[in-house]
Amino acid sequence: MKASLGILGVALGASSAGLGICVLARGLWKHEDRWLIVGRRFVFGVLGAAIVAVAAMEWALLTHDFSLQYVAENNARATPLLFTITGLWANLEGSILLWVLVLGGFLAFTAHKFRHRATDPLVAWANIVGLAVALFFFALMLGPANPFRTLSSPPLDGSGPNALLQDHPLMAFHPPLLYLGLVGFTIPFAFAVAALITGRFGEGWLADTRKATLIAWGCLTIGIILGAWWSYEVLGWGGFWAWDPVENAALLPWLTATAFLHSVIVQERRGMLRVWNLSLILSTFCLTILATFLTRSGVLNSVHSFTVSDIGPWLLVFLGVVAAASIGLIFWRGDRLRSPGKIDTPVSRESAFLVNNLLFAGLAFVVLLGTVFPLLAEALQGKQLSVGEPYFNRMTTPIALLLLFMMAIAPALPWRAATADVLRRRLLLPAYAGGATMLIALALGTRGITTVLAFGLGAFALGGIVRQFAVGARARRRAEGEGWPTATRHMIGANPRLYGGLVVHVGIVCIAVALASFSAFTVRREVSLARGGSATVSGYTITYLGNKTTSSAQKRSVSVELQIHHGGSDLGVYAPAISTFPGTSDGIGTPSVRTGLLRDVYLTLVSSPNQKGRITIGVDINAMVVWLWIGGFVIALGTLLALSPRVRRRVRPEPAPLADTPTPEPPPTREPEVVGV
Amino acid sequence: MTRRRVLVWGGLAVLVVGTLAWAAWPSSGATTPASRASELATELRCPDCEALSVADSDSTSAEAIRADLLRRTKAGESDAEIRQVYIDRYGESILLKPTSNGLGLIVWVLPVVALALAAVGLALAFAKWRRQPRLEATDADEALVQRARAG
Amino acid sequence: MKHPARWAALGVAVVVGSLAVVLASQVSTNPQAAEQQSRLVGQTVPRFTVHTFDGQTLSSRSLAGKAVLVNFWNSWCIPCQQELPSLKMFAAEHAGDPSVVLLGILRDDTVGAARPYAQAEGISWALADDPGAALSLDFGTRGQPETYAISPGGLVVGSEYGPASVKNLDTLLAAAQSHP
Repeated sequence: MKASLGILGVALGASSAGLGICVLARGLWKHEDRWLIVGRRFVFGVLGAAIVAVAAMEWALLTHDFSLQYVAENNARATPLLFTITGLWANLEGSILLWVLVLGGFLAFTAHKFRHRATDPLVAWANIVGLAVALFFFALMLGPANPFRTLSSPPLDGSGPNALLQDHPLMAFHPPLLYLGLVGFTIPFAFAVAALITGRFGEGWLADTRKATLIAWGCLTIGIILGAWWSYEVLGWGGFWAWDPVENAALLPWLTATAFLHSVIVQERRGMLRVWNLSLILSTFCLTILATFLTRSGVLNSVHSFTVSDIGPWLLVFLGVVAAASIGLIFWRGDRLRSPGKIDTPVSRESAFLVNNLLFAGLAFVVLLGTVFPLLAEALQGKQLSVGEPYFNRMTTPIALLLLFMMAIAPALPWRAATADVLRRRLLLPAYAGGATMLIALALGTRGITTVLAFGLGAFALGGIVRQFAVGARARRRAEGEGWPTATRHMIGANPRLYGGLVVHVGIVCIAVALASFSAFTVRREVSLARGGSATVSGYTITYLGNKTTSSAQKRSVSVELQIHHGGSDLGVYAPAISTFPGTSDGIGTPSVRTGLLRDVYLTLVSSPNQKGRITIGVDINAMVVWLWIGGFVIALGTLLALSPRVRRRVRPEPAPLADTPTPEPPPTREPEVVGV
Repeated sequence: MTRRRVLVWGGLAVLVVGTLAWAAWPSSGATTPASRASELATELRCPDCEALSVADSDSTSAEAIRADLLRRTKAGESDAEIRQVYIDRYGESILLKPTSNGLGLIVWVLPVVALALAAVGLALAFAKWRRQPRLEATDADEALVQRARAG
Repeated sequence: MKHPARWAALGVAVVVGSLAVVLASQVSTNPQAAEQQSRLVGQTVPRFTVHTFDGQTLSSRSLAGKAVLVNFWNSWCIPCQQELPSLKMFAAEHAGDPSVVLLGILRDDTVGAARPYAQAEGISWALADDPGAALSLDFGTRGQPETYAISPGGLVVGSEYGPASVKNLDTLLAAAQSHP
């Protein structure tokens, strides 16, 4: 019953998408608006169908209906409620259900937003492209990735989700956020393709999809950071980023999307870089499909390898079609895409954004090359080669440092041309702050160019941002006679996009500093302890109190209790563990982490008590890891700020322009009004 | 004014270069066998795991390899010799960084070449933009404007 | 074709096309499969000395002149448990033959856990501990179960990665015996 309902949902979704494409196509072909208005409604059919299918699957999971093969493989009676619900995306077929649900949601939202422009060919083409992508994923579920396959003899109990996927509540957030990000890029992609097809590549499609792109980018950023958090808190190897192929696959669209978010500003201001922006958006979408392909096809060994199935060839064909269409469209319209305007001088904000984009493209190239190189080596010479952390760290660090430098200077560069005077006024003090920070860091014992430089550039960037906030607020205060808080609030409200972006940059500085500290200052030890014994690592004394074995229907855990002392104060008792789940043989280690502002004490249980009662534990003193998560939070705040609507307020007429205002004053209006941008 | 400017910017340059030089100064203490062993451990892949390095992994074979590396560095074997021993046992895929001869050269050289090309392309574009003449009004244009103004 | 965008698009098409070809060629292959054959095959067996569960000492030298199958195993890994019946049948077949030796080396496990398991399962062939995983390292093992065939002359002639069937074991033995 549930299986039939689910399959019905999938079939409805596929037919809705297909019919929608046909109706819209006919409307465009015959120039009949009536068809376009009707055709757009099929998007809501797609959303409804996705909801039905997802509801059917969740119903089956919650009732532990093991007649469905997917439920039997990813759920057990003992599985806790949270992981039963998240079982929807615990494996391939279910995660495609999640994909179409998110896609349906985005398509419906876009269709609703543009309902008054339903007869605009641009919007119609965008709907067609979106529906085509939805059709592909529904077709996958009707074919090789059917989530509603039934078993003729259902087992009495399922095998439960993979042990790693029922270990931590983050399972409820990491995949959905990633999907919100990856799938969200379908919208700007659809509009970009529509713009190329209709020949309208002015700035309209940019403004239309700006919010969707920013939301998708924000979700992808948070999704990736949550993945790093999961790696750190749950997997227990003491790191948060292993340059695993699947991690890299999600990073690639993030890099191109970030480049796009910056270069789009140049297009809005100067009408330049049109081809480049279109290519960036098209590449971002292609990279999201590549990411799905690399994760699901099993061509590369990865931590996510348990999700391998045989939909690889399908995804590859789809990727080929999308890539060929994208390149073909650019090729076809290439002659019409010449932008007016040119960059006047090398030292200007436009050129800074151009350099920024080249660096992001370079980063993406390095990550892509390193990730697919083992495949290349296998195909060309049959050799097995690995490309791992040392390569990626070595190649990406210089580019990342250059990007940090650009991030520090670009907001201070004026548009069109910069004079030495302006540069001095805006950059000198922050630059000295950066230099002073480097000196202090060295005095405190930091060594190594990359670490010191990261600290210095981070301080430089931070100094510039603080200065920009302060100067802007001060100018406003003088003009309006407002107090500091009001002035700051109004200043941000007048240009939320700029200040939201600056807040995001603050988050990036936090992350950069955390990365630099982690690689420079982390200490790792393995110690063997008898009961009551202690060991000291970097000033932290760890005492082994005792061990405990707990059994539940879900899992069996052996944990040890460790007390941490530092500088005389008791920091508490922490309990790393090793758990075994029925149905798997390996133990899954669970680390226990004492998070501090400057240092984390990261404890893992390497081997449980042997016959003599000795345990081996891993003690890592990690530096500044919490700033990764703080940085992520700040980025989320900045993104929300950038999404918030602009507030236009009545401004008293000003006798003379103020020399240092970083943002143009909004034109005076009669009433304060909230304007959505 | 100029002197002050020189002082101000020069001071910044001295500060930055000085701190970087200090940071880059080779730290005291020659490489010990232990530090060489842990450095090598970051370059070898743990054979049991999915792409974790020997340094990061907790598995028994990773521990055994770490102990073996320490033994070998203490016995005086060079880094290259140790790497070769492991390549002989496990194949080239045990190295996390492809070697710079043969096919592995691609991953090292290609990004550098690409970035160099991009930089050159950017410089050329700037030069071209600089050279592009500003649109000058021709006499015919001027005549057209005069006629429009008059009539 | 004069517009630079078209040239760029063409260049990108070439690169993307080659990437697609590479990916397509690799989609059907299993990255693990290619690594199945051990690098040790064709080389002399690494010198070793091990102590069995019942106190005996075996070394590569003492086993010279016999066809030896070295099987890396442990008590908890599922494929090892799957392989056990085949090993038992193989051992039973060649029980009376002193020129054939089946030697189990414990990998990633403790003697305390393995010994009772072996007794409960009635394992009749020699089982040895591998302190410090030295032997596991010398053989270049990547997991368990792994089985290596050694000729009487001390040459590694074959390897099997993953649970071995009786047929696999017989093939390994034949390879070992056919070598001097």
